[in-house]
Amino acid sequence: MNCKGFLQSVLICLLSVAVLCAAPNLDKGKSIFKDNCGTCHNKNMKDDMTGPALGGVQERWAGYPKEDLYKWIRNSQSMVSAGHPEATKLFQKWKTTMTAFPTLSDEDIENLLGYIEAVNNGTYGPKVEVPGQAVSGANTSKESGFSWWMYGIFGLLGIIALFLWNIISELNYSKSKAEGNDNAQRKSLLELLTSKSVIGFVLFGLILFGGYTTVNNAISVGSRKNYSPEQPIKFSHATHAGLHKIECNYCHDGARRSKQSVIPGASTCMNCHAAIKVGSQYGTAEISKIYASIGYDPIASKYIENYEKLSNEDIQKIYSKWIGDNIMKEKKTSSLTEGDLSQVESQVRDITSSLTSDEKPSIAGPIEWVRIHNLPDHVYFNHSQHVTVGKVACQMCHGKVETMDVVKQYSPLSMGWCINCHRETDVKFADNKYYDAYKTYHEELKSGKRTSVKVADIGGLECQKCHY
Amino acid sequence: MKNQNIQTWVDETDLLVDSKQLNQEGSEFNPVSVESILEDEKSGHLETNRRDFLKLLGFGVGAATLASCEAPIKKAIPYTIRPDEIVPGIANYYASTFVNGGDVCPVLVKTREGRPIKIEGNALSSFTKGGTSARVQASVLSLYDYNRTQNPSKLVADGKIESISWDELDTAVKAGLSGSRVRILSSTVMSPSAKKAIQEFCVKYPNAKHVTYDAISYSALLDASQKCFGERVLPNYKFDHADVIVSFNADFLGTWISPIEYANQYASKRKLDSTTSSMSKHIQVESRMSLTGSNADNRILVRPSEQGAAIVTLYNAVASKTGANTVAGIELNGAAKTKLSKLAETLVAAKGKSLIVCGTNNIAEQILVFGLNNILGNIGVTVDFSKASFQRQGNDIEFQALVKEMQGNGVDALIVWNANPAYDSVLAKEFAIAAANVKLKVSLNQSLDETSLLCNFLAPDHHYLESWGDVEAKRGSYSLIQPTISPLFNTRQAPLSLLLWADSTSILKSSEQPYYDFVKANWQSSIFTKATNKGWDKTLHDGNFEANVIVGSVNFIGNVTEAADKVSKPNTSGIDIEFFESHSIGAGQYANNPWLMELPDPISRCVWGNYLTVSVKFDGDRRFLVSNGVEENGEELVLTIDGTKTTLGAIKQFGQLEGTSAIALGYGRKNAGDCGTEVGTDMFPFCRMDSNGYVQYYASNAELSNSTGTIEKNFACVQHHHTLGVTGIEKSSGKKINADEAELVDDFFKPVAKGFQGSLTKRSVIRQANFKDLKQSVEHLHEERAEFQKLNSHTLYPGHDYKYNSGHHWGMHVDLNSCIGCGTCAVACMAENNVPVVGKKEVSRHHEMTWLRIDRYYYGDTENPNVVYQPLMCQHCNNAPCENVCPVNATNHSADGLNQMAYNRCVGTRYCANNCPYKVRRFNWYDYTSADLFPVNQKNLNKETDKPFYADNIVRMVLNPDVTVRSRGVIEKCSFCIQRIQEGKLNAKKEQRALTDHDVKTACQSACPTGAITFGDMNNENGNLSKKLKNPLNYIVLEEINVKSAVTYTMKVNNRDESLDA
Repeated sequence: MNCKGFLQSVLICLLSVAVLCAAPNLDKGKSIFKDNCGTCHNKNMKDDMTGPALGGVQERWAGYPKEDLYKWIRNSQSMVSAGHPEATKLFQKWKTTMTAFPTLSDEDIENLLGYIEAVNNGTYGPKVEVPGQAVSGANTSKESGFSWWMYGIFGLLGIIALFLWNIISELNYSKSKAEGNDNAQRKSLLELLTSKSVIGFVLFGLILFGGYTTVNNAISVGSRKNYSPEQPIKFSHATHAGLHKIECNYCHDGARRSKQSVIPGASTCMNCHAAIKVGSQYGTAEISKIYASIGYDPIASKYIENYEKLSNEDIQKIYSKWIGDNIMKEKKTSSLTEGDLSQVESQVRDITSSLTSDEKPSIAGPIEWVRIHNLPDHVYFNHSQHVTVGKVACQMCHGKVETMDVVKQYSPLSMGWCINCHRETDVKFADNKYYDAYKTYHEELKSGKRTSVKVADIGGLECQKCHY
Repeated sequence: MKNQNIQTWVDETDLLVDSKQLNQEGSEFNPVSVESILEDEKSGHLETNRRDFLKLLGFGVGAATLASCEAPIKKAIPYTIRPDEIVPGIANYYASTFVNGGDVCPVLVKTREGRPIKIEGNALSSFTKGGTSARVQASVLSLYDYNRTQNPSKLVADGKIESISWDELDTAVKAGLSGSRVRILSSTVMSPSAKKAIQEFCVKYPNAKHVTYDAISYSALLDASQKCFGERVLPNYKFDHADVIVSFNADFLGTWISPIEYANQYASKRKLDSTTSSMSKHIQVESRMSLTGSNADNRILVRPSEQGAAIVTLYNAVASKTGANTVAGIELNGAAKTKLSKLAETLVAAKGKSLIVCGTNNIAEQILVFGLNNILGNIGVTVDFSKASFQRQGNDIEFQALVKEMQGNGVDALIVWNANPAYDSVLAKEFAIAAANVKLKVSLNQSLDETSLLCNFLAPDHHYLESWGDVEAKRGSYSLIQPTISPLFNTRQAPLSLLLWADSTSILKSSEQPYYDFVKANWQSSIFTKATNKGWDKTLHDGNFEANVIVGSVNFIGNVTEAADKVSKPNTSGIDIEFFESHSIGAGQYANNPWLMELPDPISRCVWGNYLTVSVKFDGDRRFLVSNGVEENGEELVLTIDGTKTTLGAIKQFGQLEGTSAIALGYGRKNAGDCGTEVGTDMFPFCRMDSNGYVQYYASNAELSNSTGTIEKNFACVQHHHTLGVTGIEKSSGKKINADEAELVDDFFKPVAKGFQGSLTKRSVIRQANFKDLKQSVEHLHEERAEFQKLNSHTLYPGHDYKYNSGHHWGMHVDLNSCIGCGTCAVACMAENNVPVVGKKEVSRHHEMTWLRIDRYYYGDTENPNVVYQPLMCQHCNNAPCENVCPVNATNHSADGLNQMAYNRCVGTRYCANNCPYKVRRFNWYDYTSADLFPVNQKNLNKETDKPFYADNIVRMVLNPDVTVRSRGVIEKCSFCIQRIQEGKLNAKKEQRALTDHDVKTACQSACPTGAITFGDMNNENGNLSKKLKNPLNYIVLEEINVKSAVTYTMKVNNRDESLDA
C-alpha cells in the first residue's frame, strides 16, 4: 500500500467520526421539546393537544426545502404572512399562532426533529437508557471513562503512527538504494504489522486497556448509576418541577434541615391534588392512587372517615365510580360503553396492584415507592449540610430532575465521586461565622497566601466525616 | 497492717508474689486455652482438608459473583399523613419522668421517627439537675423487652397464658371484685393521679385497701420519722450543705433512696481546683466495701450486727461533748470505739454543718440517728422536712398483716401492681402459699414474673415511655410523664384499669386517651392551684412543676433513751453476711435488662451474677491471707444459714471486715425473662425480720466452708481484662513480678531488677494525694510532668506539627474527684453507640465490648484502702500508637484531633488493639448485633437455645440510626461521640454562628450525675474545657510514653483523717 491508500483510510475514518457527530442527539432534543414545545404539543407525538401531533412532521414538510421547516419553527407567523402553502393550511386548520422560537439553532432543531421521530417510531422510550451515557447537565461525571472522541484521537494517532512508520521505511529503502544496496526491499504492510515490535506494542496496549477496564468495572460493581425503576405512581418530575416549576424543597422539605431529603407523604400531594383531580397525561389513572392511599373522595371533595378500616373491595368501588364518572363527564355522556368499563376496570386494577404488596395487603396506607438512591449503611450523608450550609444545587448530584419523567440515579454515588467533589468545592467561608474558628485559613486568605478553602481543607476527606 | 508507701493496686495479685498468677498477669493474651474454647462450640471439630477448602473457595467466589450481580429492590415508604412535629432524620426530645417504684428521675427522651432511643437527664429538675443513673439510661431497652406481657391474658394450668380481650378481662375482674375484700398491693406510688385513682377504686369497693411495700425496705426510717417528727416521710437530705458526712451503712451514692440527687450534692463538695480551699469529709461505717464506702475518706469497719452499737457509741460520744444526755445501750469496744469518739470530735466541730445517715432497717437505730442529727443541730439544715421525699413509702408491718390476712382466708381479691412479693419479699414463700386462698388475683405487672404466675388474670401496664402520668418525688416537686411512643403491645395503664374496674365517672371511656384526661383534670383541680399556674402546655414542655410549699419548722420529739435499748444486738461469733441491693439490677426488678446485667459491679467488677465477698488480710510480711482458702476469684464455697446450704462463688475483697461477708440481692430470679432468669443466686430467702417486724438485710451466725477449688462456670470479672503486665525479675527470689509489684515490694525486698530500658519504672496511671498534703503533692506532680514533657520534647519526627491551630481540637477532662464510679456513663455509651452486650460466657473470654470502662484502683492501707475510679475511654492520642500499625489505614487521625476508626476499612488484624497502651479497643469476635445474615456468627446472651438477643426486631428498635452497627471481625472503640460532634457542628453552621459548649456533649458527659466529664474544643479559650484544663491537679495518664493523649484527668484527693485509722 502506498501513501495514497493511507490517506484514503484516514479520510474514511474522519468521515465516519463526522457522521457519528452529525446524528441527532435525542436527549438534547428531548430537553428542547420539554422546555419549548411540551406545553402545547402532546409528548406521545401521536395525539393532538393545543397544537397538532408532531409525529410525522418531517414527512408533511418533505415537499419543501428543509429551511422552510426551520423557519416555520423559528417564526411561524412570518411564514403565514409570507403565504407559504403548508403554513397557510396549518393556520387555517388550527386558528392559533405558535410561539416563535428565534433562538433555536439548526442543530437544536435537528435534535428536536430526531427526538420527535424517535418517539413517534417508538425507538425512544424513557426506559431505554444507554448505560454510561451522561445527560448533559450541570456536572459531567468524572468516572465516565473513555468517550468517543478519545477513541477517535487514539485511532487517528495510530494511523499517523503507521503513516510515519511507512515514511521511515520508505526513507530507509531509499537510503539503502542510494548506498547501492540492490537487495533492499520495501517492507509490505503485512510485514510491518506482524513485526515483533508492533505485536509487542499491541499486546502491551491490550493488557493496559484490559486492566483499566477490569478495574473500572470492578469499581462500579454495585453502583446503580442510571437506575430508574418503575414506580407505583407514574409521577413525572418533568411535569411538576419542570413545567409547573414547583420548588424541590416544597415536597422534599427535609433537604434543607435534615439528613434525609424526605419523600413527601400523600398529605403533601393533597395540597394541590385536592383541586387538580385529573392529570394532563394519565387522566384519573395516577392521581386516583393518591386518593386511594390517603382516603380522599374526589366526588364529594372530602376525606373518607375510618378509611383504613375499609376493605379493598369497598375502596375499589369508590374509585371505580370516580373514574367512571370522570369518563362520562369528559365524553359528556350519561352511560359507560363496554370499552369505558374495561378502562375503568384496568385503572382500578392498576391502583390496586400499585398500592398493595406482600407486606401491605390493604390499598389504604402509604405509597411504597422504590428507593433509587441507596447509600450503604456505614455511610452518613446529610442533605442539610450540602443544601443549607454548602448551598449546593440539587441538580449537582441528582441531575436535571426537572426534565425527568422517570427519575433515575444521575450520579454514581461512589466514594470517589464524593471525595472528588470535596476536593474541588470551595467552602462558603466568608459569610458564615461558624468558620471563624479556622483562624489560620482566614489569615492566609487575607494575606493572599490562599485563594480559597476547599472542603478537603476542613476535614472533607477524613474517614469520620462520613463513616461512624 | 498498714503501708502508706503503696502506690495503687487493682487486686491482691498485684501485691502477691505468686509466680502462677504473675505468669498469667504477664501474659499479653487471654489465658483461656484454644481447646477450652473449641470444646464448647456447637460445631465441635474444625477439620478442613484440601478438597473442602477448594469447594468452599469455589462456592465463595461463585456466591460473591452472584451476590454482586443483582442489587435488591429497596422501598422508601413515606408517611401517608405526615405529623407536623416529625422531620425524618431529626430527633425530637420530650420531657418525661423515669419511674419504677421508688426510683425516679426527670428525663428527656430522645426519639427518632417516633421511636425512643436514648434517655437524657432533665436539667430543669430541681433535684436531679440533669443527672441520670445506669438504671435510667438502660430503661429505654426495657421498653423493647419482648418478654413483657403483650396482651391481657388469663392464666391456665402450668404457667401457660391465654390471651383474652380487655372487655372479657374487665367483665371477669369486675365480677370477682364486687362485694369482695379487695387488696391492692403495690410498690411505692409517687403519682398523685394514680393515688387519686386508687382512692376512687377504694370508694367504689369499700372493703378495698391499698398496701405498699418496697423490695428493699425503708419502713424503719419512715416509721422513725413518724415518731420523731410526726410525719411518715423521708427527710430531704442535703449533702451539699454538709462538711462532715457520716453514713452508717447507707449506700447513698449507689442505691439508697435518691442516689442521683445525692451524688450531685455530694460531688459539689468534693470538686477541687485552684480556687477551692475546702472539701467535705466523709466517713462510712460498714462491713463491706460499698460504692459509697469506696468514695469515703475513712471507713470504720463494724459488723452488720454491730451497727446499732456503733450508733449508740457515737451518740454518747457526741452527747457527752455537746452536753446532751447520754443514753444507756450496748456500746462498741476497742478500736472502733476509739475511732468513733474521735469522729465525734470532728462532728461537734462541724456542728450544724454535718449529716448523719443510716441505711439499716431498724427503727431504734433510725431514731437514734435522728437524735444525733438533732443534737448536732442538723435538723432543718441538712435534714430538712419542708421538701420531704416520697421516694419510699412501703410498710413492712402492713405487708406482713396482708400475708396473715391471706393465710386466714381474709382476702377475696388481690391486685398486684409493680410489685413482685413472690420473689423479692422476706415472706416470698408464705405469700406464694397464701395466694392459693385468694379467689381473684390480678397482676398489673409488666411481665410474667414470679408473682404474676400466681395470678388468674394479667392486665399488663404500659412501660413508662408509653404512659401518661405524674410524680411527686419530693413535696411540691412535681413532674409529668408523657408517652413518647404508642404502646408496643396490647397493654393498658394500671391506674386506668383500676378506674375502669371502679366504673369511675371521672373518665370518659370513649375518649382517645382517657387517662390523659384524668391526669390533666387532676392537675387543673389540685396541683396547679398550689403555685402560679404556668399552664399545662408549658409544664408538659418543661416536665417539671414546682409548687409553693409552706411547712412550719419541725421539732425532734423522738425518744432516744427508749430507742437505745432496742438497737440490734451485736453478734461476734460466726460470720455476719450482709445482703445488699445490687447497684445495677436493684432488687431484681431490672434483672431482665442486659445492659444492666453486663454493667460490672463497681467494686468487684463482676458481671452476670452475684458473688460472696471474702476478706483479705496482709500477714505483715509478704503474703495475703484470703479467708476460707479462696485462691482464685470465682471459686465456689458453701454458705450455711440456719441449716440451709447454698453453693456460691466467692471473690476476694479488700476492705471487707474479717468475719463478715456480703452478697447482692436481685439475682436468681425464676421468671424474669430470657436475660434475667436464673442468673446468680436468690438471697431473699435468707433475709429475716427483727422483733419489730422490720426486714433485716443481714444474717448472723452463718457458716462459710472452705473453697471447694472449682471456679464457677463462665465466671466473668472484667477487672483484669485488657491489662498488660510488664514483668521483671525480683532478685532475692528470682520470681517474676510486674511493675506495680516492683514498686510495692521495694519496701520489703530492696533489690528489684529494673527491667530493660527503664520499662519497669512506675507508670503514671493513677495519682492521688491527701487533702492536707495537697500543696506538696501538686508540686511533685508538676515536677514529674515537667520531666516527662522534657523527655517528650525529643522527637524522631522533628517538624511534625501537633498544633491544631485552625478549627477545633477536641479534648476531654475527667475529674476523678467527682467520679463516684456509678457506671452511668458506661451504660449511656452503650445506648448511644449501639455497643452490644455479649453475655456471660463471652465476657468470661474477655470479649466484652464496652467502649468506656471504669477501672477501680485501691491505694493506702491494704486492709482498709481508699479507692479511685477512673473512667477510661479512647484517649484520642495525637501520637497514637494504634494508627501507625494498622496495615490498611483503617484508623487514622483527623485534623481536629480525633483518632478515627473506619469500620468498613478494618480487616481485623487487631494490631491496633495490641499496640494500644490504654487497652480501649474492642474486637467483634462474633456478630453480636446480628448485623449480617449468618446465624452461626451470632451469640446468645444467656441461654444457648435462645435466639440471639439483637436478632429480635423489637429489640433492634433501640439502635441509634446515626451510628453504624458493626459486624463481625472489626475493631471498634470510643469515637468521642463523633455523631454528636458532627450534629453540633452542623447546627452551628446552619445557624451561622460559632460552636459553643452546649452544641456538643458526649453521651457519657450528659449522663453523668456529678458532672465529672467535660468534653469540648480545646481551641475555644472561653469554653468550659479550657477552664477545666487550667486545674493544677491535672495529669495525663501515661504521659511519659509520649502518646499525647487528648484526655486529662485530675489527681484524686482524699480527705482521710489519719487519726481515725488508729
